[in-house]
Amino acid sequence: MQAFQFGPVSIPLHRRAVTMVLGLSFLVVLVALAALSLGSYPIDTAGLWQTLTGRADPIPAMIVLDHRLPRILTAIGAGAALGLAGAMVQTMLRNPLASPDIIGFTAGANAGALLAVLLTGGMILTGALTGGALAACAVIALAWRGGLDTQRLILVGIGASLSLGATADLLLSFTDENTAADMARWLTGTLHARGPADVALIWGGLALLAPATAWLGFPLGRMAFSDDIGVGLGLPMTRLRLAVTGLAIILVALAVSVAGPLPFVAFVSGPIARRLTRSGGPALAAAALTGATVTLGADLAARAIPVVRLPAGVFTAMIGAPVLVWLLWIEARKGRL
Amino acid sequence: MVQDGTNCRLRAEAISVAYPGRAVLENLSLDIPDSKVTAIVGPNACGKSTLLRALARLTPVTAGQVSLDGHPIDRQRSRVVARQLAILPQSPLAPEGLTVLDLVRRGRTPHQSALRQWSRADSEAVERALDLTGLNDMSSRMLATLSGGQRQRAWIAMALAQDTDLLLLDEPTTYLDLPHQIELLALVRQLNRDTGRTVAMVLHDINLAARFADHMVALKGGRVRYQGAPSEVVTAKMMQDIFALPCTVIADPIHGHPHVIPA
Repeated sequence: MQAFQFGPVSIPLHRRAVTMVLGLSFLVVLVALAALSLGSYPIDTAGLWQTLTGRADPIPAMIVLDHRLPRILTAIGAGAALGLAGAMVQTMLRNPLASPDIIGFTAGANAGALLAVLLTGGMILTGALTGGALAACAVIALAWRGGLDTQRLILVGIGASLSLGATADLLLSFTDENTAADMARWLTGTLHARGPADVALIWGGLALLAPATAWLGFPLGRMAFSDDIGVGLGLPMTRLRLAVTGLAIILVALAVSVAGPLPFVAFVSGPIARRLTRSGGPALAAAALTGATVTLGADLAARAIPVVRLPAGVFTAMIGAPVLVWLLWIEARKGRL
Repeated sequence: MVQDGTNCRLRAEAISVAYPGRAVLENLSLDIPDSKVTAIVGPNACGKSTLLRALARLTPVTAGQVSLDGHPIDRQRSRVVARQLAILPQSPLAPEGLTVLDLVRRGRTPHQSALRQWSRADSEAVERALDLTGLNDMSSRMLATLSGGQRQRAWIAMALAQDTDLLLLDEPTTYLDLPHQIELLALVRQLNRDTGRTVAMVLHDINLAARFADHMVALKGGRVRYQGAPSEVVTAKMMQDIFALPCTVIADPIHGHPHVIPA
């Protein structure tokens, strides 16, 4: 078996998984470059090169570096965070339907962020973290009956998602028209007018969480069997579940804080990544890159219709909804739903 | 009682296990003799599976304790226990998309860490497990495409790759036809003879248990009613007491093991 070796570190490499991760990285860069050059003020390859190397005129430089670049970096970061959170929770709960945006974590983070903005005018991240954590606790507590049954968790979670969505809509009605219009767009998930603060938040967060995420990737691939097998292999299952849930909540809250909920990104990334890599593991790196690609693609599609300023979330939902139907169909056919 | 002079690393000391509203095991004590094959038998719902799960710390005890090397098993680090003791639960589940090799490699988990996910010892243990179970030729097959017997062997290989002194198997012959049952039990027996591994398994078939075990434990109503060598345990009286089955027990004409012939 081929393995990456460096001092005491040794990590097995699946050739197909490595190829897919490299391919997806290339795809992200490609779509990002397209997103930098396309738009109401198109910039050709030569112009883009000049801008990125700091030799361009002020106007294209401003458009690329101040407007498009933060937006693109935010899209990649938020998409990666959601892709990671989705793949982790789906693997832990052994069900592709159990992703944070289906079982209420995202809706909680969203409602929390909205409430924080309405009450304090800021503190989005604090609101999102609190809301996400409260929603997760509530969903788990409501679904708990001497143990955690994933199917009940999914049903309770869908219910929680819908109620929290309705609550968010209700909160909107207490604001003035302009704020409400802005907030409504954000509630769908948007990357419009992102700035360096957003980029710093999402990428700083990802950098801080990366070691923990990489660490959890190893036991996650074993937790995917069953509780009996996990315990038999010596995994501290309860502590690991807490760690995975906590990490997923933080990742979702970070993404929601900079881009709104971006429906279905967390949900579609894991299954796509697993099918691409066929490694039989949680495929976290591939899931992060898939999330980034989907989000970036959705934002590019949203920008292609310039006048109405459609939020990217509309397009992630358009990509995600058919995948949801398809997975529901597969699960129903296997008799697991 | 286990004969004197035999060490027992794994012991149940006056354990009780209760599920909500139902006591399954009550004040049960049992020693698993080292380097022997122990078969646990008994009628349906007698608690034999629960006993094996409690011995492997999969099911928590409500009283008493299971001890491994003299220390309570649930107070030791799970990872450290997993290097001494492997358990193959009944009808184990694997995620989709795994090959036989993927599965067997997962058995190395307690010897690995997030940083050190693969070593030469891992490769060798996996190779050995595949050899012993005769799965070398199908290591790249998807688990889902295997027959029941092959899949069960793959799970055994995963437990073997864990490279533990103690191996616990919960009804490993379920869903297998007779040739595959014999093959699997012969493999378990050979492992015990070649490497001195301690094996404890729950079995349904008394005759197969009598043939392949060194030590037999018969359970009824959550208590140990009989234990000892198969020739001492498998008697017409035991079959009547435990299973309420009138029968004659003869010596198997080929191997000499006790053989139950229902009346």
